Amino acid sequence: MCIIESRCNPTPTPEHYLPSRLQLFLGSATSLQVHFYPLHLWWSIHFSLKPPRQTDTMASRKKVLLKVIILGDSGVGKTSLMNQYVNKKFSGSYKATIGADFLTKEVLVDDRLVTMQIWDTAGQERFQSLGVAFYRGADCCVLVYDVNNSKSFEALDSWRDEFLIQASPRDPESFPFVVIGNKIDVEENKRMISSKRAMTFCQSKGNIPYFETSAKEAVNVEQAFEVIARSALAQEEAEEFSGEFSDPINIHLDNERDGCAC
Amino acid sequence: MAAKYTPPASPPSPSASFYDVSDEDEDEYNTIAHQQSRKGVKLLYSKSKVYVHPTASSKDNIAGFIALVQQKPPPAPVHSAGSSPSNNEAASLLLAWVPETSLGDAYDTYVKVDLCDDVSAPRQRYLVPPLPATTTYRDPIGLYSFAVPVSEIYSLLVRPPSFGWWFGSLVINTRSGDSFPALFFHDSECESTILQKKKRVKESFDPFDNEGSLFWGGDEVLRWLRRYVDVERSSVDRNIYLINPSDEDQLSFGRAAIPGDGSTVSKAQPEATAAGPSGGAAPRDASMDPFMKTLKETRWKVLEHLSKITTFTRRTANDIAENPRIPPQMRRLMKNPEIQTLQDEFDSARIYLARWAMSIAEQSEKERKQRIWTAQDVLESENSSVGEFEILELETGNLALRERRKTLSLEEWEGFFDPTSGRLQITEEEVKERIFHGGIDPNDGTRKEAWLFLLGVYPWDSSREERQALMNSKRDEYIRLKGGWWERLVEGNSTTEEFEHWKEQRNRIEKDVHRTDRTIPLFAGEDIPHPDPDSPFAETGTNVHLEQMKDMLLTYNEHNPDLGYVQGMSDLLAPLYAVMQDDAVAFWAFVGYMDRMERNYLRDQSGMRSQLLALDQLVQLMDPQLYLHLQSADSTNFFFFFRMLLVWYKREFEWSDTLRLWETLWTDYFSSSFHLFIAVAILEKHRDVIMDHLKHFDEVLKYINELSNTMDLVPLLTRAESLFHRFERAVQAIDKRDNFPSAPTAQQRRPTSDTDSASNSGKGKQTQQGTVGSSSSVNPPSALQQSMDKDKPKVISPELRELLRKDIPWRRQQMS
Repeated sequence: MCIIESRCNPTPTPEHYLPSRLQLFLGSATSLQVHFYPLHLWWSIHFSLKPPRQTDTMASRKKVLLKVIILGDSGVGKTSLMNQYVNKKFSGSYKATIGADFLTKEVLVDDRLVTMQIWDTAGQERFQSLGVAFYRGADCCVLVYDVNNSKSFEALDSWRDEFLIQASPRDPESFPFVVIGNKIDVEENKRMISSKRAMTFCQSKGNIPYFETSAKEAVNVEQAFEVIARSALAQEEAEEFSGEFSDPINIHLDNERDGCAC
Repeated sequence: MAAKYTPPASPPSPSASFYDVSDEDEDEYNTIAHQQSRKGVKLLYSKSKVYVHPTASSKDNIAGFIALVQQKPPPAPVHSAGSSPSNNEAASLLLAWVPETSLGDAYDTYVKVDLCDDVSAPRQRYLVPPLPATTTYRDPIGLYSFAVPVSEIYSLLVRPPSFGWWFGSLVINTRSGDSFPALFFHDSECESTILQKKKRVKESFDPFDNEGSLFWGGDEVLRWLRRYVDVERSSVDRNIYLINPSDEDQLSFGRAAIPGDGSTVSKAQPEATAAGPSGGAAPRDASMDPFMKTLKETRWKVLEHLSKITTFTRRTANDIAENPRIPPQMRRLMKNPEIQTLQDEFDSARIYLARWAMSIAEQSEKERKQRIWTAQDVLESENSSVGEFEILELETGNLALRERRKTLSLEEWEGFFDPTSGRLQITEEEVKERIFHGGIDPNDGTRKEAWLFLLGVYPWDSSREERQALMNSKRDEYIRLKGGWWERLVEGNSTTEEFEHWKEQRNRIEKDVHRTDRTIPLFAGEDIPHPDPDSPFAETGTNVHLEQMKDMLLTYNEHNPDLGYVQGMSDLLAPLYAVMQDDAVAFWAFVGYMDRMERNYLRDQSGMRSQLLALDQLVQLMDPQLYLHLQSADSTNFFFFFRMLLVWYKREFEWSDTLRLWETLWTDYFSSSFHLFIAVAILEKHRDVIMDHLKHFDEVLKYINELSNTMDLVPLLTRAESLFHRFERAVQAIDKRDNFPSAPTAQQRRPTSDTDSASNSGKGKQTQQGTVGSSSSVNPPSALQQSMDKDKPKVISPELRELLRKDIPWRRQQMS
């Protein structure tokens, strides 16, 4: 799906092809090894999917770029979490995010220097359709809710679905998510979602790692993002590996979509 | 520091081993010079990514921290040197460098202290393992850390990053005459320096200090030291800072000396040469870099030179190196392989450098505005090989001169109206032209009235009496609308479903109102308790203006129930309310504003999409080269303009500029889509940085996002106006060619004849579409498709043609 639709070739929207695509992926999983491509062809395809990028061109300082998307309802603290993690700062006066922005942070994950590119997005569902401009190529998706706001918790599932539709990762089943329940600094009697309830949800969605944080008081933020970084790195490496066995259906669709320059 | 000194326990520990600091030990830190205990020392400040460069090869660089640590003050002053009373304190302080690799668990503490954004002394106490204190340096370079008692430091040789040497450096010279290896500040890797730099840039967009050099890590170290000891800059060699200088030192090197600028041969020479071991750069750096000197002496001139680089060639550093206009020092520098590799090596440095050059250009542009363009200037620029872009520069220069206007004052405004009837005596166009170019006085209350005309609350042809009657009925209407939701939400006269809907709307609105323009005095602070104890803001409290904002937005929901509250609306309302200071009046002004902005907030985002599409086509037509570049950077979705278009640049300019911009746009003087020309003006201004340095969507987005609060509004307005005229001329030219009969070959999309004819009616000055319907007969029949330049087929799409219109075809129709 493109922001500027009329510039695009008429292609099916992701909503249309996702289920079948999922099936096809699973269906072809058993016969992965037969899908070898001439190397040059594979490269051209892979490049068009997500140009492998290093943040630094110097070979001796090779770094990996990990793309992390933060999603969740308006006002749950996405911007605050990102800023607390990257800048070690909290401000009560962040404006509502419009459009999208990101911050980068270099971290060591098991002796590997990686650059995390953390994308902060607008929370209002009306702007969700814009996500396609930056969801693609994500290595991990962070779903945030406010533990004092049950609506924001209930919305997690649809944020997750929306992300899978728009980002269309190669293997939706194994794509890493992390759930964060934010604002645990608020007094206990305001709390609407118990840890147990949140954990049950996360387990039911394939054991998503769950953290309860306070961006305001810097509680658990570092820990949550460490897991995010690890998951993202694992995903990036898996992508690199699985790239060698791209299945034809994916290639076809992605190629076609790429033609629209969006 | 308050804890009293306890003599160190025996037996002495053989080494400075650490990690034994427990909570109860916190106050029991010891004199590490004695190295008798295993306790920690207090880490006051640290800065990361400070390197020792043991060899010429950057592979051998050793990363570490520079730090100021405090040990237990000795019972009596041990060191006799120095005369300052603070010497005792100096003895307890150590200036240290520690390689990252030797830190072990203490690494985190160093990072934490580095990132402390405390301008004053550190509030929290961080203990780290002691470091071996030394006054002489013998170890193989970089293998071991060192810590020099501040009382033993005679001077610091401090060289800020300059054009000749990318990294700023610091050398410690001791009283015993030793010099420690130079410490290089890799500022582009150091998170805290980047943050501080950003902060400065954000606050004033001035990365320079008073002396014209860039802010860098070494400044920080001097700031730390100044908190505890005398730091005296030598007037003999400006790169030397004396620590707790004696009277004698003061006389020889201190401020009493010759007010020269390093040009005089001086006793400081030994200091400078002492830096010898610090690597090959020393001889070059020993005296001040000639370029930096020039910069100081004749800053203005140099800035002007640089501005010529940036405005007239605006090319990569490579081109700069070839440009004969550039001062030779600068050219030499750009050819320096070090700089060139740097450019390739660090994306961030590259972009930073480019942006920095932009800021100089901007500053110089400001200064140039005071000058009058002379014929010679014009000739000069015509002689140089100027492209389209430079012509634009020239145009804007002339425009600025021709159309500089003062703001519209209340007196002048009132003069526009007939004193008895209160009807406008001049034309609507004349008023709009006046506001478009001059803006309205922000302080004398003219806006309160003028905005209501611009936003369509008052008809331009109304009399004073009619306006009074109108406003009275509008006030009643506001109260009626407000009563609607009040009844459902507060008095509970509603179905559960309705109630839930309104509650949800109220929550959304509240969340945003509490984070909209809170730095504006009107909206700042919370001085009344929140009326609803269940609100998430119940504890925070609120103020009366926030409550008014919420009411108005809820009332708008009642007025336009299909739309609902969408983020961004609060940004549009706040300035209106701040100007009107009357909720009913502000509400109707907002309704008028929303009538034209509603398409931005539609559920299907169609309005935003059509504007981004128009922008896409506009850039394609106006600057195909830039367009191709954006295409290669996957950026032609123009998503990075989303925020700007959604709230009309509210987040990009400071408050007063936003207001000025909005009233300009409300006039629709040239076009009802003039905001898109502002967008192109921004792109064009940053064109060369974008073309040369931004290669990916994320880079473009980040760059554009970070322009926020760095842009000068008035030059952009002039540029946008100039762009509009160019666009208009381009359309005319294409139409002319289009209408010239020739063999119908190319099958191109052609606009429908009625919009086509509208633009042919001369300079796009038609006020309403349809008024020039008769001219369509002039056009050849649309079957006669015209061929155009085959290589560059240019078609004026309906989206582009709409940019010439002054009416607002997408305006929401008021239900009466």
